[in-house]
Amino acid sequence: MKKLIVLGAAASVFAGAAMAQEQTLNIYNWSDYIAEDTIEKFEAETGIKVVYDVYDSNEVLEAKMLTGNSGYDVVVPTSDFLQRQIAAGAYQKLDKSQLPNLVNMDPDLMKGAETYDPGNEYSTIYMWGTTGIGYNINAVAERLGEDYEVNSWELVFDPEISGKLADCGISMLDAPSEMIPAAMNYLGLDPRSTDKDDLEAGAALLETVRDNVRYFHSSQYINDLANGDICVAVGWSGDVFQALYRAEEAENGVEIGYVIPDEGALQWFDMMAIPVDAPNPEAAHKFINFVMDAQITADITNYVWYANANKASMPLVDPDITSDPGIFPTEAAKARLWAAQVYDARTDRTVTRLWTRVKTGT
Amino acid sequence: MNGAVEKTGSSPFVATLKRLLARTGLSGRTLVIAIPVLWLLIFFLAPFLVVAKISLSEAAIARPPYLPLWEWSEGMLIISLNFANYQYLLDDALYYLSYLSSLKISALSTLFALLIGYPVAYMIARAPDNTRNLLLMLVILPFWTSFLLRVYAWIGILKGNGVINNFLMSIGIIDSPIVMMQTDFAVYVGIVYTYLPFMILPLYANLVKLDESLLEAASDLGARPLTTFLTITLPLSMPGIVAGSMLVFIPAVGEFVIPALLGGPDTLMIGRVLWNEFFSNRDWPVASAVAIAMLVVLVVPVMILQRSQDEKEEAAS
Amino acid sequence: MSEPKSAAETRPWKDPAAVPFISIKNVTKKFGAFTAVNNISLDIYRNELFCLLGGSGCGKSTLLRMLSGFEEITSGTIEIDGQDMVGIAPYERATNMMFQSYALFPHMNVEKNIAYGLKRDGMGGAEIKDRVAEILKLVQLEEFARRKPGQLSGGQKQRVALARSLVKKPKVLLLDEPLGALDKKLREETQFELIKIQESLGVTFVVVTHDQEEAMTISTRIGVMNEGEIVQVGEPHEIYEYPNSRFVAGFIGSVNVFEGQVVDDEQDHVVVRSPDAGIDIFVSHGVSCAPNQKVAYAIRPEKISMSRDRPKDKKNVTSGMVEEVGYLGNLSIYQVMLESGKQIRVAKPNIVRLDEEAISWDEKVFLSWDGSAGVVLVS
Ligand SMILES: Nc1ncnc2c1ncn2[C@@H]1O[C@H](COP(=O)(O)OP(=O)(O)O)[C@@H](O)[C@H]1O
Ligand SMILES: [Mg+2]
Repeated sequence: MKKLIVLGAAASVFAGAAMAQEQTLNIYNWSDYIAEDTIEKFEAETGIKVVYDVYDSNEVLEAKMLTGNSGYDVVVPTSDFLQRQIAAGAYQKLDKSQLPNLVNMDPDLMKGAETYDPGNEYSTIYMWGTTGIGYNINAVAERLGEDYEVNSWELVFDPEISGKLADCGISMLDAPSEMIPAAMNYLGLDPRSTDKDDLEAGAALLETVRDNVRYFHSSQYINDLANGDICVAVGWSGDVFQALYRAEEAENGVEIGYVIPDEGALQWFDMMAIPVDAPNPEAAHKFINFVMDAQITADITNYVWYANANKASMPLVDPDITSDPGIFPTEAAKARLWAAQVYDARTDRTVTRLWTRVKTGT
Repeated sequence: MNGAVEKTGSSPFVATLKRLLARTGLSGRTLVIAIPVLWLLIFFLAPFLVVAKISLSEAAIARPPYLPLWEWSEGMLIISLNFANYQYLLDDALYYLSYLSSLKISALSTLFALLIGYPVAYMIARAPDNTRNLLLMLVILPFWTSFLLRVYAWIGILKGNGVINNFLMSIGIIDSPIVMMQTDFAVYVGIVYTYLPFMILPLYANLVKLDESLLEAASDLGARPLTTFLTITLPLSMPGIVAGSMLVFIPAVGEFVIPALLGGPDTLMIGRVLWNEFFSNRDWPVASAVAIAMLVVLVVPVMILQRSQDEKEEAAS
Repeated sequence: MSEPKSAAETRPWKDPAAVPFISIKNVTKKFGAFTAVNNISLDIYRNELFCLLGGSGCGKSTLLRMLSGFEEITSGTIEIDGQDMVGIAPYERATNMMFQSYALFPHMNVEKNIAYGLKRDGMGGAEIKDRVAEILKLVQLEEFARRKPGQLSGGQKQRVALARSLVKKPKVLLLDEPLGALDKKLREETQFELIKIQESLGVTFVVVTHDQEEAMTISTRIGVMNEGEIVQVGEPHEIYEYPNSRFVAGFIGSVNVFEGQVVDDEQDHVVVRSPDAGIDIFVSHGVSCAPNQKVAYAIRPEKISMSRDRPKDKKNVTSGMVEEVGYLGNLSIYQVMLESGKQIRVAKPNIVRLDEEAISWDEKVFLSWDGSAGVVLVS
């Protein structure tokens, strides 16, 4: 037995030597969610080779985390998903001694993230954003009048108003845990309520505008908004800005606005975390620390137009971005943001089922 | 006869193999049957059993997200089977409606694929030799590009400012774009397009064997071309029609990607319901129960069909 | 007998006033640049059993397929029973075809196969049943009515195919190598059956075959084809006894051919000087040819007598050595080498069993024949 262990140790020494030469880090992040040169810079600085994969739904990531052996070292789940996955034992605690850049983080926002990860033990904020309304300024003005000010969820939730926009296309996120609370909020209910009646009421409102919605999808709207194929999208802040940016690039005359409606909106955090069975946690820590560097985070925000939680990076972020209330909301708007509720299994099922009813009528 | 036996017997390899087989009590025949059986065991039965197992457990916030089916506790094996997942499928009309809708979409798609595929297969089978190979290549060609890419190409064709709408508007047939994306129509287009080769190839394989003199005989006996087709070509190509239809119908029932990308929110298909159970509800047991139920829904009619065909053959002999 | 006399008895082709039932005039068929049928003209009479005989690829099937309508005529005309066939589809013609491959519908049983043509005519169910039963009886397949083609022997399939093409009582039945797929014994039996059926139904048959014995056995007349053309038309014995060319002589049965030259050309006889034969051959009928024309003289093996002693009364006598003897049961074939070095074949019926005296190898023999035994071939 002893001999075997010695042999095993010797083998791992060799393996370690080999790894120092050619370490790899497997990252799994949202699509279009990083600056063009971030990975390059990280590789140059650390000599670690990065394998970078992308996904575009929390569900897909979650399936991999819950199955285990995903092979990823760093993943970026959204806060409410993260909470559940922590409960399932999918992540390892961060070794904060390896993350000196944590000092750069905004304590208020980190505090907000503690709703999902008490003590920030497992994760740190990558980017954050809101779920609001993106719209084609001219198309909406054409249908609702030049004077109409887009500042309310009534744009999509009032059947009469959304009915006027149906012909040019309304899209909603295919995300029941974001859409139903938004509807509840519009009805004056607590968006974080898990009461079945409240959820039913939200779903019922959605059903009344169902026929005005062209589709429910969580990424398609970026292109469609940019091309003028749709004119209103309930979407994630950064994605709407990406559409805005693409429309500008294309010079196709499409002007896009993003608004956090006066009634309030969901605030969410995308969190960097390390799977419990990550092959290379050491490199994972290095990467997380690297991202928390002020300049690197600023670069990412400047590229993806999502807000970060890195206080030190603020001076380095494009003033156009920091001053945009759609990205960095005003204090007044901030007060009306709500955090996502994490449902238990039964509520999850209720919400999914309601959502199916909203979408299909069955 | 004798010579042939001696010839094979003289190869030392074959002889050794035979001796080995004889010792293990296996004949070459058994071996020939064993290989596909083994294949089915590994690639069909094993995954099926895993899914069946999960369908009988209970969802949990864990990794993996369900409770184990059996447990050792104080020297006792405790097996807990949870049939509630199946009960659940019966309680909510959603599942039953989704199955029905999937079957309807698949059946109609199969019909359209048949209506398009049959003339194409017929034409290819009757084409001159060199053209025929070219046409077959064209049928298979789409497989050389990614399936997703081809579905995305359809988005480009069908969408509001896509190829079709732009063309129709430029020649002034319509003023505003026809909404084709996110409709059942787009789903039918996607499924028929994707699975068409699976309809054409077996039909072609059947029709190319069709003896032309049979058609001449029918014509000679007074059958007009349409009658000849209905009384000779069509019945004789039945095996091809059945094979092609199965190859289209079965995968179409469980199709997820096409309705997800091309379909509207109200396109109800069991593949999507399954996706929801698995990803949105994280309820792997119910998802597995949906999958098993889908298999039953598919396998039972296929087996009935198979049986009726076997009986027909038996009756014939 | 009240039945119409068969064409074999009335021999309408001998009557210049008779109206042909099928009239093929200057018919040519080209496949691209290739001429499969070249300018054929042919008359076939009602109730005939006419054989198109020729080697493989000579255009027999093509000619038949033009009669049935499966091939369009490149030029020329075909009339059947006075009706021009141009532009008339196969399913509108009063002809039926029996295919070389039988072309039985594999998914239908015998009964349904046979009823197929009747159904197309919109005949009532009861009548169809009677007709099918009747024809099944004719071809002796009553017990097999419910079988599928895959469960029949070759001979049974052949009869189903025949029944199916006959049941519509076509004006003309076209048969492409109808017995080609049967073994020899069955073929010979079936030949007679075919004649019986043809005579009893009074249908005009046009049969394609490459088998000259078959053609001789069954036909009222034979049209011999070669390379897309008809080279001779005649009754079987005419074709056999009076072939008009080396091709026909060689194609039908076995024949000895002597090369020669006409040295004496009279009204009632000619003399052919043949170094091959080693004699001047006397031919007891006139031949239309130029003086001193090079010709061939053809004589069948069974027309030559063989003897150890020189016969006295024969016009043509030559001699040679027996090289080979082949015993065929009913007759023996001798191969004899003439003094000129030419080998000829002589057939001798075996009249006596175990003839001790029979001529054998290496014997010198005299060969002789009458002036009317052979024919002069100018082409
Ligand atoms: N459809 C066709 N296309 C081209 N050539 C053909 C076709 N049918 C027959 N031929 C040619 O015409 C010739 C005569 O064919 P066919 O009538 O079938 O001969 P056979 O006397 O053996 O029945 C052959 O050389 C054959 O290759
Ligand atoms: Mg032929």
